[in-house]
Amino acid sequence: MMLTATAQTGTASLHRALRIAGWIGLGLIAVAVSLSDFLANAPANATAIGPLLAPPSVEFRFGTDILGRDLFSETLHALNATARSILPATAVTLLAGALLGFVAARLPRSLALTVRGLVGILASLPALLLAVLAIGLSTRDWAAVAAGLSAAPFTFVRAFDRARLEERATHSEYARATGISAATLLRRDLVYEFSDTILSSAARALAAVTLILSTVSFLGFGAVPPHRDLGLMIAAARPYFLHAWWTAAFPAAALVLLILCARLAAGLDEGERA
Amino acid sequence: MLRFVSREAGKLALSLAGAVLLAAAISALAAPDAGGGAWQFLVAWGRALDGYAHLDFGHSAMTGRAASDELARHLPLTLGLVFEGLAIALIVGIPIGLSFGSGPARRAAAPLIQILSAAPIFCAGLALAFVAGNLLHWPVPSGDATAGLALVPHDVREAEILLLPVLTVGLAGAAATQLSLRRAGAEIAGQPWRTQLRRMGLSAWEIETVYAMPRIFAGLLGDLGEVMLALFSAAAVAEWVFNYAGAADLFVKSVALRDWAVVAPVLLAFGVLTMIAGFTGRCLAFPLLATGAES
Repeated sequence: MMLTATAQTGTASLHRALRIAGWIGLGLIAVAVSLSDFLANAPANATAIGPLLAPPSVEFRFGTDILGRDLFSETLHALNATARSILPATAVTLLAGALLGFVAARLPRSLALTVRGLVGILASLPALLLAVLAIGLSTRDWAAVAAGLSAAPFTFVRAFDRARLEERATHSEYARATGISAATLLRRDLVYEFSDTILSSAARALAAVTLILSTVSFLGFGAVPPHRDLGLMIAAARPYFLHAWWTAAFPAAALVLLILCARLAAGLDEGERA
Repeated sequence: MLRFVSREAGKLALSLAGAVLLAAAISALAAPDAGGGAWQFLVAWGRALDGYAHLDFGHSAMTGRAASDELARHLPLTLGLVFEGLAIALIVGIPIGLSFGSGPARRAAAPLIQILSAAPIFCAGLALAFVAGNLLHWPVPSGDATAGLALVPHDVREAEILLLPVLTVGLAGAAATQLSLRRAGAEIAGQPWRTQLRRMGLSAWEIETVYAMPRIFAGLLGDLGEVMLALFSAAAVAEWVFNYAGAADLFVKSVALRDWAVVAPVLLAFGVLTMIAGFTGRCLAFPLLATGAES
Protein backbone atom coordinates (compact mmCIF):
# COMPACT_ATOMS: atom_id res chain seq x y z
CA MET A 1 0.00 0.00 0.00
CA MET A 2 2.82 2.35 1.03
CA LEU A 3 4.74 1.52 -2.15
CA THR A 4 1.67 2.21 -4.33
CA ALA A 5 1.14 5.59 -2.67
CA THR A 6 4.82 6.49 -3.18
CA ALA A 7 4.62 5.44 -6.85
CA GLN A 8 1.47 7.54 -7.34
CA THR A 9 3.13 10.59 -5.72
CA GLY A 10 6.19 10.05 -7.97
CA THR A 11 4.01 9.83 -11.09
CA ALA A 12 2.11 13.00 -10.11
CA SER A 13 5.39 14.92 -9.59
CA LEU A 14 6.68 13.67 -12.94
CA HIS A 15 3.46 14.79 -14.66
CA ARG A 16 3.75 18.24 -13.03
CA ALA A 17 7.40 18.54 -14.06
CA LEU A 18 6.56 17.55 -17.64
CA ARG A 19 3.72 20.08 -17.79
CA ILE A 20 6.04 22.83 -16.59
CA ALA A 21 8.64 21.72 -19.15
CA GLY A 22 5.94 21.87 -21.85
CA TRP A 23 4.97 25.43 -20.91
CA ILE A 24 8.63 26.51 -20.79
CA GLY A 25 9.10 24.97 -24.25
CA LEU A 26 6.05 26.82 -25.58
CA GLY A 27 7.38 30.04 -24.03
CA LEU A 28 10.77 29.59 -25.72
CA ILE A 29 9.04 28.90 -29.04
CA ALA A 30 6.97 32.09 -28.55
CA VAL A 31 10.19 34.05 -27.96
CA ALA A 32 11.80 32.54 -31.08
CA VAL A 33 8.68 33.34 -33.09
CA SER A 34 8.48 36.94 -31.92
CA LEU A 35 12.20 37.47 -32.64
CA SER A 36 12.17 35.51 -35.90
CA ASP A 37 12.97 38.58 -38.01
CA PHE A 38 16.06 39.28 -35.88
CA LEU A 39 17.20 35.68 -35.51
CA ALA A 40 16.81 34.81 -39.20
CA ASN A 41 19.76 35.39 -41.50
CA ALA A 42 17.55 36.26 -44.45
CA PRO A 43 14.06 37.65 -45.01
CA ALA A 44 11.22 35.22 -45.75
CA ASN A 45 11.36 33.65 -49.21
CA ALA A 46 14.68 35.28 -50.14
CA THR A 47 16.02 33.06 -52.94
CA ALA A 48 19.62 32.47 -54.11
CA ILE A 49 21.03 33.17 -50.64
CA GLY A 50 23.33 30.18 -51.08
CA PRO A 51 24.00 27.30 -53.47
CA LEU A 52 21.06 25.07 -54.43
CA LEU A 53 20.37 22.13 -52.10
CA ALA A 54 23.50 22.70 -50.00
CA PRO A 55 23.65 20.33 -46.99
CA PRO A 56 23.88 21.75 -43.42
CA SER A 57 27.19 23.52 -42.85
CA VAL A 58 28.71 26.24 -40.64
CA GLU A 59 27.48 28.88 -43.07
CA PHE A 60 24.00 27.41 -43.57
CA ARG A 61 23.10 25.62 -40.34
CA PHE A 62 20.03 23.88 -41.80
CA GLY A 63 21.29 23.82 -45.39
CA THR A 64 19.52 25.37 -48.38
CA ASP A 65 16.62 24.29 -50.57
CA ILE A 66 16.10 23.94 -54.31
CA LEU A 67 15.82 27.74 -54.73
CA GLY A 68 18.90 28.45 -52.62
CA ARG A 69 16.86 29.71 -49.65
CA ASP A 70 18.48 29.51 -46.20
CA LEU A 71 16.47 26.79 -44.44
CA PHE A 72 17.27 28.05 -40.92
CA SER A 73 15.68 31.40 -41.75
CA GLU A 74 12.84 29.77 -43.65
CA THR A 75 12.07 27.42 -40.73
CA LEU A 76 11.93 30.37 -38.34
CA HIS A 77 9.63 32.33 -40.65
CA ALA A 78 7.45 29.25 -41.21
CA LEU A 79 7.26 28.66 -37.44
CA ASN A 80 6.11 32.27 -37.13
CA ALA A 81 3.42 31.73 -39.81
CA THR A 82 2.29 28.50 -38.12
CA ALA A 83 2.11 30.15 -34.69
CA ARG A 84 0.11 33.08 -36.07
CA SER A 85 -2.55 30.78 -37.50
CA ILE A 86 -2.78 28.30 -34.61
CA LEU A 87 -3.61 30.96 -32.01
CA PRO A 88 -6.98 32.00 -33.56
CA ALA A 89 -7.69 28.34 -34.35
CA THR A 90 -7.15 27.43 -30.69
CA ALA A 91 -9.52 30.21 -29.61
CA VAL A 92 -12.19 28.92 -32.03
CA THR A 93 -11.84 25.37 -30.68
CA LEU A 94 -12.14 26.55 -27.08
CA LEU A 95 -15.20 28.71 -27.83
CA ALA A 96 -17.04 26.42 -30.26
CA GLY A 97 -16.01 23.23 -28.51
CA ALA A 98 -15.33 23.58 -24.80
CA LEU A 99 -17.58 26.56 -24.01
CA LEU A 100 -20.55 25.69 -26.24
CA GLY A 101 -20.35 22.03 -25.19
CA PHE A 102 -20.57 23.01 -21.54
CA VAL A 103 -23.45 25.43 -22.12
CA ALA A 104 -25.34 23.04 -24.46
CA ALA A 105 -25.41 20.39 -21.72
CA ARG A 106 -27.57 22.75 -19.60
CA LEU A 107 -30.25 23.18 -22.27
CA PRO A 108 -33.55 21.34 -21.76
CA ARG A 109 -32.81 17.60 -21.84
CA SER A 110 -34.34 16.73 -25.22
CA LEU A 111 -32.77 19.74 -26.95
CA ALA A 112 -29.39 19.09 -25.30
CA LEU A 113 -29.39 15.46 -26.43
CA THR A 114 -30.38 16.47 -29.98
CA VAL A 115 -27.49 18.94 -30.15
CA ARG A 116 -25.15 16.30 -28.68
CA GLY A 117 -26.32 13.81 -31.33
CA LEU A 118 -25.79 16.28 -34.18
CA VAL A 119 -22.31 17.22 -33.02
CA GLY A 120 -21.64 13.51 -32.40
CA ILE A 121 -22.17 12.92 -36.14
CA LEU A 122 -19.44 15.46 -36.92
CA ALA A 123 -17.22 13.85 -34.27
CA SER A 124 -17.52 10.53 -36.11
CA LEU A 125 -15.80 12.05 -39.16
CA PRO A 126 -12.03 12.49 -39.34
CA ALA A 127 -11.24 16.06 -38.18
CA LEU A 128 -8.72 16.39 -40.99
CA LEU A 129 -11.36 15.75 -43.66
CA LEU A 130 -13.76 18.13 -41.90
CA ALA A 131 -11.08 20.84 -42.01
CA VAL A 132 -10.41 20.20 -45.70
CA LEU A 133 -14.16 20.37 -46.37
CA ALA A 134 -14.59 23.60 -44.37
CA ILE A 135 -11.71 25.23 -46.27
CA GLY A 136 -13.18 24.00 -49.56
CA LEU A 137 -16.51 25.56 -48.62
CA SER A 138 -14.86 28.89 -47.76
CA THR A 139 -11.37 30.03 -48.80
CA ARG A 140 -7.84 29.25 -47.70
CA ASP A 141 -7.78 32.57 -45.82
CA TRP A 142 -10.18 30.93 -43.36
CA ALA A 143 -7.97 27.86 -42.83
CA ALA A 144 -7.32 28.73 -39.17
CA VAL A 145 -11.03 29.06 -38.37
CA ALA A 146 -11.77 25.87 -40.34
CA ALA A 147 -9.10 23.96 -38.39
CA GLY A 148 -10.48 25.29 -35.12
CA LEU A 149 -14.03 24.32 -36.06
CA SER A 150 -13.02 20.85 -37.21
CA ALA A 151 -11.31 20.16 -33.87
CA ALA A 152 -14.34 21.53 -32.00
CA PRO A 153 -16.77 18.54 -32.25
CA PHE A 154 -14.49 16.27 -30.20
CA THR A 155 -13.94 19.03 -27.63
CA PHE A 156 -17.68 19.76 -27.60
CA VAL A 157 -18.56 16.13 -26.85
CA ARG A 158 -15.96 15.93 -24.04
CA ALA A 159 -17.16 19.21 -22.48
CA PHE A 160 -20.81 18.18 -22.86
CA ASP A 161 -20.29 14.82 -21.14
CA ARG A 162 -18.32 16.45 -18.31
CA ALA A 163 -21.02 19.08 -17.84
CA ARG A 164 -23.72 16.39 -17.65
CA LEU A 165 -21.74 14.73 -14.85
CA GLU A 166 -21.43 18.10 -13.07
CA GLU A 167 -25.17 18.58 -13.37
CA ARG A 168 -25.77 15.34 -11.49
CA ALA A 169 -23.20 16.20 -8.80
CA THR A 170 -24.32 16.69 -5.19
CA HIS A 171 -23.65 20.44 -5.20
CA SER A 172 -26.00 20.87 -8.18
CA GLU A 173 -28.78 18.94 -6.45
CA TYR A 174 -28.41 21.05 -3.27
CA ALA A 175 -28.35 24.25 -5.36
CA ARG A 176 -31.53 23.30 -7.21
CA ALA A 177 -33.23 22.25 -3.96
CA THR A 178 -32.43 25.62 -2.37
CA GLY A 179 -33.88 27.53 -5.32
CA ILE A 180 -30.67 28.73 -6.97
CA SER A 181 -31.43 29.48 -10.60
CA ALA A 182 -30.09 27.36 -13.47
CA ALA A 183 -28.27 30.40 -14.91
CA THR A 184 -26.43 31.06 -11.61
CA LEU A 185 -25.49 27.40 -11.33
CA LEU A 186 -24.22 27.40 -14.92
CA ARG A 187 -22.15 30.53 -14.24
CA ARG A 188 -20.66 28.95 -11.11
CA ASP A 189 -19.83 25.68 -12.90
CA LEU A 190 -18.34 27.54 -15.86
CA VAL A 191 -16.06 29.58 -13.59
CA TYR A 192 -14.88 26.48 -11.70
CA GLU A 193 -14.54 24.40 -14.87
CA PHE A 194 -12.53 26.98 -16.80
CA SER A 195 -10.40 28.24 -13.91
CA ASP A 196 -9.35 24.63 -13.26
CA THR A 197 -8.81 23.44 -16.80
CA ILE A 198 -8.40 26.44 -19.11
CA LEU A 199 -4.62 26.09 -19.47
CA SER A 200 -4.73 22.37 -20.05
CA SER A 201 -7.68 22.70 -22.49
CA ALA A 202 -5.89 25.48 -24.38
CA ALA A 203 -2.70 23.44 -24.69
CA ARG A 204 -4.70 20.39 -25.79
CA ALA A 205 -6.52 22.48 -28.42
CA LEU A 206 -3.20 23.98 -29.49
CA ALA A 207 -1.73 20.52 -30.13
CA ALA A 208 -4.84 19.43 -32.04
CA VAL A 209 -5.10 22.48 -34.29
CA THR A 210 -1.34 22.46 -34.97
CA LEU A 211 -1.67 18.88 -36.22
CA ILE A 212 -4.71 19.71 -38.34
CA LEU A 213 -3.41 23.01 -39.73
CA SER A 214 0.01 21.65 -40.65
CA THR A 215 -1.61 18.63 -42.33
CA VAL A 216 -4.08 20.72 -44.36
CA SER A 217 -1.17 22.94 -45.40
CA PHE A 218 0.76 19.84 -46.40
CA LEU A 219 -2.23 18.79 -48.52
CA GLY A 220 -2.30 22.25 -50.14
CA PHE A 221 -5.33 23.70 -48.34
CA GLY A 222 -3.61 25.90 -45.77
CA ALA A 223 -1.05 28.65 -46.11
CA VAL A 224 -0.94 30.43 -49.46
CA PRO A 225 2.53 30.96 -50.99
CA PRO A 226 4.64 33.04 -50.57
CA HIS A 227 3.56 32.92 -46.88
CA ARG A 228 4.81 29.43 -46.06
CA ASP A 229 4.05 27.64 -42.81
CA LEU A 230 5.75 24.44 -41.64
CA GLY A 231 3.25 22.11 -43.37
CA LEU A 232 3.67 23.87 -46.71
CA MET A 233 7.45 23.92 -46.30
CA ILE A 234 7.50 20.14 -45.78
CA ALA A 235 5.13 19.67 -48.75
CA ALA A 236 7.48 21.74 -50.93
CA ALA A 237 10.38 19.49 -49.91
CA ARG A 238 8.51 16.34 -50.91
CA PRO A 239 9.89 15.93 -54.47
CA TYR A 240 13.54 15.95 -53.38
CA PHE A 241 13.68 15.04 -49.70
CA LEU A 242 14.86 11.50 -50.54
CA HIS A 243 18.16 12.98 -51.78
CA ALA A 244 18.22 16.14 -49.62
CA TRP A 245 16.87 15.03 -46.22
CA TRP A 246 17.52 18.40 -44.56
CA THR A 247 14.86 20.14 -46.66
CA ALA A 248 12.11 18.24 -44.83
CA ALA A 249 13.85 17.17 -41.61
CA PHE A 250 14.34 20.61 -39.97
CA PRO A 251 10.82 21.96 -40.55
CA ALA A 252 9.44 18.57 -39.43
CA ALA A 253 11.58 18.70 -36.27
CA ALA A 254 10.29 22.22 -35.51
CA LEU A 255 6.71 21.02 -35.98
CA VAL A 256 7.21 17.95 -33.78
CA LEU A 257 8.83 20.13 -31.10
CA LEU A 258 5.87 22.54 -31.12
CA ILE A 259 3.31 19.72 -30.86
CA LEU A 260 5.39 17.90 -28.21
CA CYS A 261 5.56 21.02 -26.02
CA ALA A 262 1.79 21.56 -26.39
CA ARG A 263 1.10 17.91 -25.53
CA LEU A 264 3.33 18.06 -22.46
CA ALA A 265 1.76 21.36 -21.36
CA ALA A 266 -1.69 19.78 -21.71
CA GLY A 267 -0.60 16.87 -19.53
CA LEU A 268 -1.59 14.38 -22.23
CA ASP A 269 -0.82 10.76 -21.59
CA GLU A 270 1.65 9.09 -23.99
CA GLY A 271 -0.20 8.25 -27.20
CA GLU A 272 -3.33 10.14 -26.11
CA ARG A 273 -5.10 12.05 -28.88
CA ALA A 274 -5.07 15.80 -28.49
CA MET B 1 -28.16 -7.76 -23.88
CA LEU B 2 -31.08 -7.39 -26.29
CA ARG B 3 -32.09 -4.13 -24.62
CA PHE B 4 -28.54 -2.79 -24.91
CA VAL B 5 -28.26 -3.78 -28.59
CA SER B 6 -31.69 -2.25 -29.35
CA ARG B 7 -30.72 1.03 -27.68
CA GLU B 8 -27.41 1.13 -29.53
CA ALA B 9 -29.14 0.24 -32.82
CA GLY B 10 -31.57 3.13 -32.27
CA LYS B 11 -28.67 5.52 -31.67
CA LEU B 12 -26.92 4.16 -34.78
CA ALA B 13 -30.05 4.63 -36.91
CA LEU B 14 -30.39 8.26 -35.76
CA SER B 15 -26.70 8.94 -36.40
CA LEU B 16 -26.93 7.38 -39.88
CA ALA B 17 -29.97 9.51 -40.68
CA GLY B 18 -28.07 12.62 -39.56
CA ALA B 19 -25.06 11.63 -41.67
CA VAL B 20 -27.30 11.21 -44.74
CA LEU B 21 -28.82 14.67 -44.13
CA LEU B 22 -25.34 16.18 -43.88
CA ALA B 23 -24.12 14.42 -47.03
CA ALA B 24 -27.22 15.49 -48.96
CA ALA B 25 -26.64 19.10 -47.86
CA ILE B 26 -23.08 18.96 -49.22
CA SER B 27 -24.27 17.26 -52.39
CA ALA B 28 -26.92 19.98 -52.85
CA LEU B 29 -24.10 22.50 -53.33
CA ALA B 30 -23.45 20.85 -56.69
CA ALA B 31 -26.83 22.06 -57.97
CA PRO B 32 -26.35 25.13 -60.20
CA ASP B 33 -29.07 27.16 -58.46
CA ALA B 34 -28.12 26.18 -54.86
CA GLY B 35 -26.21 29.42 -54.27
CA GLY B 36 -29.18 31.59 -55.17
CA GLY B 37 -30.53 31.90 -51.62
CA ALA B 38 -31.86 29.89 -48.70
CA TRP B 39 -34.99 28.71 -50.49
CA GLN B 40 -33.09 27.51 -53.57
CA PHE B 41 -30.64 25.67 -51.33
CA LEU B 42 -33.48 23.97 -49.45
CA VAL B 43 -35.05 22.87 -52.75
CA ALA B 44 -31.67 21.52 -53.93
CA TRP B 45 -31.23 19.77 -50.57
CA GLY B 46 -34.64 18.14 -50.94
CA ARG B 47 -33.76 16.97 -54.45
CA ALA B 48 -30.42 15.59 -53.20
CA LEU B 49 -32.20 13.78 -50.35
CA ASP B 50 -34.65 12.26 -52.81
CA GLY B 51 -31.69 11.12 -54.92
CA TYR B 52 -29.98 9.62 -51.85
CA ALA B 53 -33.19 7.75 -51.00
CA HIS B 54 -32.93 6.13 -54.47
CA LEU B 55 -29.14 5.59 -54.10
CA ASP B 56 -28.50 8.22 -56.76
CA PHE B 57 -25.63 10.36 -55.47
CA GLY B 58 -25.45 12.62 -58.51
CA HIS B 59 -22.67 12.94 -61.10
CA SER B 60 -19.10 14.15 -60.87
CA ALA B 61 -18.66 17.64 -62.29
CA MET B 62 -15.14 16.70 -63.43
CA THR B 63 -15.50 13.28 -65.04
CA GLY B 64 -19.25 13.18 -65.68
CA ARG B 65 -19.38 9.69 -64.17
CA ALA B 66 -21.92 8.76 -61.48
CA ALA B 67 -20.60 9.61 -58.00
CA SER B 68 -21.50 6.08 -56.90
CA ASP B 69 -19.23 4.69 -59.66
CA GLU B 70 -16.37 6.92 -58.52
CA LEU B 71 -16.91 5.70 -54.96
CA ALA B 72 -17.05 2.06 -56.09
CA ARG B 73 -13.73 2.51 -57.95
CA HIS B 74 -11.82 4.18 -55.11
CA LEU B 75 -13.38 3.00 -51.82
CA PRO B 76 -12.15 -0.63 -52.03
CA LEU B 77 -8.55 0.65 -52.22
CA THR B 78 -9.03 2.71 -49.05
CA LEU B 79 -10.83 -0.13 -47.29
CA GLY B 80 -7.98 -2.47 -48.21
CA LEU B 81 -5.49 0.04 -46.83
CA VAL B 82 -7.53 0.53 -43.66
CA PHE B 83 -8.10 -3.18 -42.98
CA GLU B 84 -4.48 -4.10 -43.71
CA GLY B 85 -3.54 -1.17 -41.44
CA LEU B 86 -5.96 -2.47 -38.79
CA ALA B 87 -4.21 -5.86 -38.86
CA ILE B 88 -0.85 -4.15 -38.26
CA ALA B 89 -2.44 -1.91 -35.61
CA LEU B 90 -3.65 -4.95 -33.68
CA ILE B 91 -0.44 -6.95 -34.14
CA VAL B 92 1.73 -4.03 -32.98
CA GLY B 93 -0.67 -2.15 -30.71
CA ILE B 94 -1.93 -5.00 -28.51
CA PRO B 95 1.51 -6.24 -27.32
CA ILE B 96 2.67 -2.63 -26.79
CA GLY B 97 -0.52 -1.71 -24.94
CA LEU B 98 -0.29 -4.78 -22.70
CA SER B 99 3.49 -4.69 -22.09
CA PHE B 100 3.94 -0.95 -21.64
CA GLY B 101 0.63 -0.41 -19.88
CA SER B 102 2.10 -0.13 -16.41
CA GLY B 103 5.16 -0.49 -14.26
CA PRO B 104 8.80 0.27 -15.10
CA ALA B 105 8.33 -0.64 -18.80
CA ARG B 106 5.81 2.18 -19.14
CA ARG B 107 8.13 4.71 -17.52
CA ALA B 108 11.02 3.61 -19.75
CA ALA B 109 8.99 3.80 -22.95
CA ALA B 110 7.07 7.00 -22.06
CA PRO B 111 9.50 9.61 -23.50
CA LEU B 112 9.82 7.75 -26.81
CA ILE B 113 6.05 7.26 -27.12
CA GLN B 114 5.48 10.97 -26.31
CA ILE B 115 7.83 12.03 -29.12
CA LEU B 116 6.34 9.52 -31.59
CA SER B 117 2.81 10.66 -30.71
CA ALA B 118 3.78 14.27 -31.40
CA ALA B 119 4.81 13.47 -34.98
CA PRO B 120 2.08 14.25 -37.53
CA ILE B 121 1.19 11.30 -39.75
CA PHE B 122 2.58 12.95 -42.87
CA CYS B 123 5.96 13.38 -41.16
CA ALA B 124 5.89 9.70 -40.15
CA GLY B 125 4.98 8.75 -43.73
CA LEU B 126 7.84 10.79 -45.16
CA ALA B 127 10.27 9.32 -42.60
CA LEU B 128 9.18 5.80 -43.57
CA ALA B 129 9.59 6.68 -47.26
CA PHE B 130 13.09 8.02 -46.56
CA VAL B 131 14.15 4.87 -44.70
CA ALA B 132 12.59 2.61 -47.35
CA GLY B 133 14.10 4.53 -50.27
CA ASN B 134 17.59 5.15 -48.91
CA LEU B 135 18.29 2.22 -46.59
CA LEU B 136 16.16 -0.59 -47.99
CA HIS B 137 16.30 0.66 -51.61
CA TRP B 138 12.59 0.07 -52.10
CA PRO B 139 10.73 1.93 -54.84
CA VAL B 140 9.03 4.98 -53.28
CA PRO B 141 6.15 6.62 -55.17
CA SER B 142 6.68 10.36 -54.87
CA GLY B 143 6.38 13.58 -56.81
CA ASP B 144 3.56 13.87 -59.31
CA ALA B 145 3.57 10.28 -60.52
CA THR B 146 0.13 8.84 -59.76
CA ALA B 147 -0.02 5.22 -58.81
CA GLY B 148 -3.32 3.36 -58.67
CA LEU B 149 -1.88 0.67 -56.48
CA ALA B 150 -3.19 -2.86 -56.44
CA LEU B 151 -5.21 -3.86 -53.40
CA VAL B 152 -3.52 -7.26 -53.33
CA PRO B 153 0.11 -7.18 -54.52
CA HIS B 154 1.02 -9.57 -57.33
CA ASP B 155 4.81 -9.45 -56.99
CA VAL B 156 7.50 -8.33 -54.57
CA ARG B 157 7.80 -4.85 -56.10
CA GLU B 158 4.07 -4.20 -55.70
CA ALA B 159 4.24 -5.51 -52.14
CA GLU B 160 7.13 -3.14 -51.36
CA ILE B 161 5.17 -0.18 -52.73
CA LEU B 162 2.02 -1.18 -50.85
CA LEU B 163 3.85 -1.78 -47.57
CA LEU B 164 4.71 1.90 -46.99
CA PRO B 165 1.14 3.29 -46.90
CA VAL B 166 -0.07 0.21 -45.00
CA LEU B 167 2.70 0.68 -42.42
CA THR B 168 1.87 4.39 -42.08
CA VAL B 169 -1.81 3.65 -41.49
CA GLY B 170 -0.99 0.66 -39.27
CA LEU B 171 1.32 2.63 -37.00
CA ALA B 172 -1.31 5.36 -36.54
CA GLY B 173 -3.83 2.63 -35.69
CA ALA B 174 -1.34 0.96 -33.34
CA ALA B 175 -1.04 4.22 -31.38
CA ALA B 176 -4.84 4.35 -30.98
CA THR B 177 -5.00 0.63 -30.07
CA GLN B 178 -2.30 0.74 -27.40
CA LEU B 179 -3.82 3.88 -25.92
CA SER B 180 -7.24 2.29 -25.70
CA LEU B 181 -5.81 -0.83 -24.02
CA ARG B 182 -3.79 1.26 -21.56
CA ARG B 183 -6.80 3.42 -20.75
CA ALA B 184 -8.87 0.31 -20.03
CA GLY B 185 -5.98 -1.15 -18.01
CA ALA B 186 -5.67 2.03 -15.97
CA GLU B 187 -9.42 2.07 -15.27
CA ILE B 188 -9.39 -1.38 -13.66
CA ALA B 189 -5.96 -1.05 -12.04
CA GLY B 190 -7.20 0.25 -8.70
CA GLN B 191 -10.43 -1.77 -8.52
CA PRO B 192 -11.14 -3.29 -5.08
CA TRP B 193 -12.04 -6.67 -6.56
CA ARG B 194 -8.37 -7.27 -7.39
CA THR B 195 -7.41 -7.19 -3.69
CA GLN B 196 -10.42 -9.29 -2.76
CA LEU B 197 -9.57 -11.96 -5.36
CA ARG B 198 -5.97 -12.01 -4.12
CA ARG B 199 -7.22 -12.53 -0.57
CA MET B 200 -9.30 -15.43 -1.86
CA GLY B 201 -6.03 -17.08 -2.90
CA LEU B 202 -6.09 -16.53 -6.67
CA SER B 203 -2.74 -16.07 -8.37
CA ALA B 204 -1.87 -12.79 -10.12
CA TRP B 205 -1.82 -14.63 -13.48
CA GLU B 206 -5.33 -15.99 -12.87
CA ILE B 207 -6.67 -12.56 -11.90
CA GLU B 208 -5.13 -10.97 -14.98
CA THR B 209 -6.24 -13.57 -17.53
CA VAL B 210 -9.70 -14.50 -16.22
CA TYR B 211 -10.90 -11.20 -14.73
CA ALA B 212 -8.82 -8.31 -16.06
CA MET B 213 -8.24 -9.30 -19.72
CA PRO B 214 -11.93 -9.46 -20.74
CA ARG B 215 -12.42 -5.95 -19.36
CA ILE B 216 -9.29 -4.61 -21.06
CA PHE B 217 -10.33 -6.06 -24.43
CA ALA B 218 -13.88 -4.81 -23.87
CA GLY B 219 -12.32 -1.34 -23.54
CA LEU B 220 -10.54 -1.80 -26.87
CA LEU B 221 -13.75 -2.98 -28.57
CA GLY B 222 -15.66 -0.06 -27.05
CA ASP B 223 -13.14 2.31 -28.65
CA LEU B 224 -13.26 0.58 -32.06
CA GLY B 225 -14.93 3.65 -33.61
CA GLU B 226 -12.07 5.83 -32.37
CA VAL B 227 -9.49 3.38 -33.76
CA MET B 228 -11.28 3.43 -37.15
CA LEU B 229 -11.28 7.23 -37.06
CA ALA B 230 -7.49 7.20 -36.54
CA LEU B 231 -7.12 4.72 -39.41
CA PHE B 232 -9.22 6.81 -41.82
CA SER B 233 -7.33 10.01 -40.94
CA ALA B 234 -4.04 8.20 -41.50
CA ALA B 235 -5.34 6.73 -44.77
CA ALA B 236 -6.16 10.23 -46.06
CA VAL B 237 -2.58 11.36 -45.46
CA ALA B 238 -0.92 8.10 -46.57
CA GLU B 239 -2.84 8.12 -49.85
CA TRP B 240 -1.66 11.68 -50.51
CA VAL B 241 1.96 11.02 -49.56
CA PHE B 242 2.25 7.77 -51.53
CA ASN B 243 -0.01 8.69 -54.49
CA TYR B 244 -2.46 5.94 -53.60
CA ALA B 245 -5.64 6.50 -55.61
CA GLY B 246 -8.11 5.65 -52.84
CA ALA B 247 -11.31 7.32 -51.66
CA ALA B 248 -9.56 9.71 -49.24
CA ASP B 249 -7.32 10.93 -52.07
CA LEU B 250 -10.46 11.29 -54.21
CA PHE B 251 -12.06 13.33 -51.39
CA VAL B 252 -9.13 15.75 -51.16
CA LYS B 253 -8.95 16.23 -54.94
CA SER B 254 -12.73 16.62 -55.22
CA VAL B 255 -12.79 19.32 -52.51
CA ALA B 256 -9.98 21.14 -54.34
CA LEU B 257 -12.05 21.03 -57.54
CA ARG B 258 -15.32 21.76 -55.67
CA ASP B 259 -16.86 18.56 -57.01
CA TRP B 260 -19.44 18.36 -54.20
CA ALA B 261 -21.41 15.47 -55.72
CA VAL B 262 -18.33 13.25 -55.18
CA VAL B 263 -17.26 14.80 -51.85
CA ALA B 264 -20.60 14.01 -50.16
CA PRO B 265 -20.79 10.21 -50.69
CA VAL B 266 -17.11 9.76 -49.76
CA LEU B 267 -17.65 11.61 -46.49
CA LEU B 268 -20.86 9.65 -45.91
CA ALA B 269 -19.02 6.36 -46.50
CA PHE B 270 -16.33 7.26 -43.94
CA GLY B 271 -18.91 8.41 -41.39
CA VAL B 272 -21.09 5.31 -41.84
CA LEU B 273 -18.12 2.95 -41.55
CA THR B 274 -16.90 4.66 -38.37
CA MET B 275 -20.40 4.59 -36.84
CA ILE B 276 -20.91 0.91 -37.71
CA ALA B 277 -17.46 0.06 -36.30
CA GLY B 278 -18.32 1.90 -33.07
CA PHE B 279 -21.70 0.14 -32.82
CA THR B 280 -20.21 -3.31 -33.51
CA GLY B 281 -17.42 -2.72 -31.00
CA ARG B 282 -19.83 -1.64 -28.25
CA CYS B 283 -22.10 -4.63 -28.92
CA LEU B 284 -19.14 -7.05 -28.80
CA ALA B 285 -17.77 -5.39 -25.65
CA PHE B 286 -21.03 -5.79 -23.74
CA PRO B 287 -20.92 -9.62 -23.31
CA LEU B 288 -17.21 -9.42 -22.46
CA LEU B 289 -17.96 -6.98 -19.65
CA ALA B 290 -20.84 -9.19 -18.51
CA THR B 291 -18.52 -12.24 -18.51
CA GLY B 292 -15.98 -10.34 -16.41
CA ALA B 293 -18.70 -9.31 -13.96
CA GLU B 294 -20.16 -12.85 -13.71
CA SER B 295 -16.81 -14.55 -13.19
